[in-house]
Amino acid sequence: MKARVLMALMLLAGTVAAWAAPQGKTAAATPQTVLLPSRSPLVSFRILFMTGAASDPKGKEGLAALTASMLSDAGSRKLTYAEITDAMYPMATSFTSQVDKEMTVFTGTTHVDNLERYYGLIRDMLLDPGFREDDFTRVKTDAINFLKVGLRSENDEELGKEYLYNVIYPADHPYGHHNAGRLSSLEKLTLEDARAFYRDNFTRANLVIGLSGGYPKGFEARIVADFGKLPAGTRTQVAAAAPPQAEGMKAYIIERDTRSTAYSLGFPIPVTRADKDWPALAVVASYLGQHRSSTSFLYQRLREARGLNYGDYAYVEYFPQGMFQFEPSPNLGRRSQIFQIWLRPVEPKNGHFTLRAAMYEYDKLIKDGMSEAEFERSRQFLSKYVNVLTASQDAQLGYALDSHYYGIPEFTRYMRERLATLKLEDVNRAIAQYLKPGNMRIVAVTKDAQALRTALTSNAPSPISYVSPKPQDVLDEDKVIQSYPLPLKEGDVKVVPVEEVFQ
Amino acid sequence: MLALTCACWASAATAGAGQAKAFPYTYYIDDLPNGLRIITIPTDYPNLVAYYAVVQAGSRNEVEPGKSGFAHLFEHLMFRGSKNFTPRQRDEIMQSAGVNGNAYTTDDRTVYHLVFAREDMDKMLELEGDRFQRLEYSRDVFKTETGAVLGEYNKNSANPVRKILEVLRETAFKKHTYSHTTMGYLRDIEDMPNQYDYSIEFYNRYYRPEYTTILMVGDITRAQSVAAVKKHFGEWKRGNYVAQIATEPPQAAPQKAHIEWATPTLPWVAVAYRGPAYSDTEKDLAALSVLGQMAFGSNSELYRKLVLNEQKVEALGGDVSFRIDPELFTVMARVKDAKDVDYVRDQILATVKQFSDTLVPAGKLAATRSRMRYEFALSLDSSEAIALNVAPYVGLRRTPETINNLYALYDQVSPEDIRNAARKYFAESNRSIVTLATKAKAASTEGGQQ
Repeated sequence: MKARVLMALMLLAGTVAAWAAPQGKTAAATPQTVLLPSRSPLVSFRILFMTGAASDPKGKEGLAALTASMLSDAGSRKLTYAEITDAMYPMATSFTSQVDKEMTVFTGTTHVDNLERYYGLIRDMLLDPGFREDDFTRVKTDAINFLKVGLRSENDEELGKEYLYNVIYPADHPYGHHNAGRLSSLEKLTLEDARAFYRDNFTRANLVIGLSGGYPKGFEARIVADFGKLPAGTRTQVAAAAPPQAEGMKAYIIERDTRSTAYSLGFPIPVTRADKDWPALAVVASYLGQHRSSTSFLYQRLREARGLNYGDYAYVEYFPQGMFQFEPSPNLGRRSQIFQIWLRPVEPKNGHFTLRAAMYEYDKLIKDGMSEAEFERSRQFLSKYVNVLTASQDAQLGYALDSHYYGIPEFTRYMRERLATLKLEDVNRAIAQYLKPGNMRIVAVTKDAQALRTALTSNAPSPISYVSPKPQDVLDEDKVIQSYPLPLKEGDVKVVPVEEVFQ
Repeated sequence: MLALTCACWASAATAGAGQAKAFPYTYYIDDLPNGLRIITIPTDYPNLVAYYAVVQAGSRNEVEPGKSGFAHLFEHLMFRGSKNFTPRQRDEIMQSAGVNGNAYTTDDRTVYHLVFAREDMDKMLELEGDRFQRLEYSRDVFKTETGAVLGEYNKNSANPVRKILEVLRETAFKKHTYSHTTMGYLRDIEDMPNQYDYSIEFYNRYYRPEYTTILMVGDITRAQSVAAVKKHFGEWKRGNYVAQIATEPPQAAPQKAHIEWATPTLPWVAVAYRGPAYSDTEKDLAALSVLGQMAFGSNSELYRKLVLNEQKVEALGGDVSFRIDPELFTVMARVKDAKDVDYVRDQILATVKQFSDTLVPAGKLAATRSRMRYEFALSLDSSEAIALNVAPYVGLRRTPETINNLYALYDQVSPEDIRNAARKYFAESNRSIVTLATKAKAASTEGGQQ
């Protein structure tokens, strides 16, 4: 038992140490750190720069992501990329980057046996990058193919989810383009652009070093000294105010040859993890549609009761790659978030009905709020689920960095404490305050876009039939849902050819 | 306790040295009289327990024609209610406990997994024991669930890789159940609503203690784990069904197939050879596994040439499957331009020939072994990750010891073993090639080359 207590204390000590770190937004003399030492044989790095796609210069959308790739997926000045992959090969390590609007994080984990060699490689990749032309051509082609092929033609769900952000944030908003950029601007980016972005954004002022695991004493001081050689710079400032949004529902139908109809819907919310109402909204999203969980309300109504699709979920934070991940990746901190509902693909003949069913349930939530029993279950779930979110050492480090960004205490403790004092009326007040009826933005991906458009704007009944008998209460509810009015007029529904998306 | 946990970390820290066991944790195996096996792995990660129930039945067990996809459908049905808990009650208990749970199905196994706080263990095992022994669902519920499975097929169908694997299986296998993927044929999925009775049969055959191993990893002792499993699974009745799975005869001639994709996508080429079954005693599989890394991994010569230097390929990989029966060694490449597909295929074939003709350098082999060991060590970074990574081996041999045996075999694989395995399996008559490309008409909407 002693060992376990000791580790818990060490973890806690690491977290406390993190909170002693300076959190100011001006240039720090030494880089900020978040440290979680433990006895694990693995050492995880999360080297975070407070810059990202929101800092892409106008007309150069995709530059932040491309620059990050030139650091994580390309050579250093000393070694070519091939030499780096050779050196990493026997250690089974890798080094990857994740670029979001305001955060760019470089992550990697090594066995402590190989710490010295691994650190030497990644230090040079970040501090002394090679910026070779052939690396640039490769990562640029990959970025173009990611948008053109990966999103436009191979993953209807991610296509819909990402396009929803494009619809909610106008093109001139710092959040108004995909993290990977736009195809029209990506084509024009040059190696010189990447060098300039690196020079201006990869600075001490933007840097927070995250380190966890069984690294030796004094190791963190060496990293701080090494990264202290970056230019001081000033902290990147992004005007990421909530986007303007006209009242009323609008729908965008992406037309693409596909077997099914995928939906994503949502609207901006003025609440992030830093706000006092965030735990309340987190409870609402968990109740309505906990990610990949069969216990949530929408899942129960759409999938369990009716078998319409594979699942139906709700979010109050950006969660990319949700079809591949059960838990969200950390370090996607944003100053503006959206409330989002994700309906997994349905048969096109049920497309109109499914959207109506989702809106019917959503409107009902706004009208009735949550019950005491529903609230209690969701609250208990989240209080324990935070353990799952932070189960691995790398996740603990990621969440610690996010807490640093949002200025909140250690995440699991913060959530448990906030949830313990949360009341049903807080949650129902948050529902009334932030969830509006009728200002939804809807993105659909389907083959026959015109037919769906006609159905949506005509508001004609959309009855549903089942392969199996259904209980009377479901059939009765279906009668209401099949004619449930969606306030969409002629001008509110736009068909978008897939070739125009992310262009 | 202190000594035990310290020993765990110490051996993990020397995993790369070559002598230490690849699986660094102490584990305990307990068999109940009914045939159920319990494997307990205590760890240092606080509060949580990862429960993985591994049923040694997957799409390999779908022996009757017209029943492909049933193991996977069955996985869905396990969430649709049991004698003492309606789905709603079960969901409410899980929700209150903050449980992270799901399931997956593959060729040889179906795995049900939960991660819960250790104080909730008894309740969780009560729920699990009920559905494994007393599953109950109506015909209507069954039909509804078949709709969800069709939805899953439809959702997956946007991904060309799914289609390639489907066609590859059909091309390489004619008799064995590996001829279909776990998802199953679309025609069988569409017929599922009519197969309620067969679903009951499937449950009675395979959801039995002798097919099942319960893996408990985390903040738990052996005694706690065994007591809880005994309490909730001790009365489970042993079955007697053994599936007669057809043996696939040797392939007589090389096979080819092409898929026309309706929407714009990048072309793919897949080259596959019939391979060996999983073994932790014979060297063939271990040798091919090392070969896959060396020939097609991210620092192979071919990867360097096609992906980094010529930049004709976006993604490349090759490996042998770990399956109960012989399956495939598969190489896949995603090509950037349709005009290079033949070239890339020929490069893959030339690489295969090179490994049959020449011996790999000893230094490169040592680096690859090191990589494979560290890759496994790095994957064990939470109780759930440990359970997740051990489960496939439990599906094959019902013990984590097979991991140590396999990695010991990797250490023995010589350049000659690799060449011999290449010669044995990479014969032309053993080969299937599947390509996928956008249909000419769809391509024209993008590029205008009609």
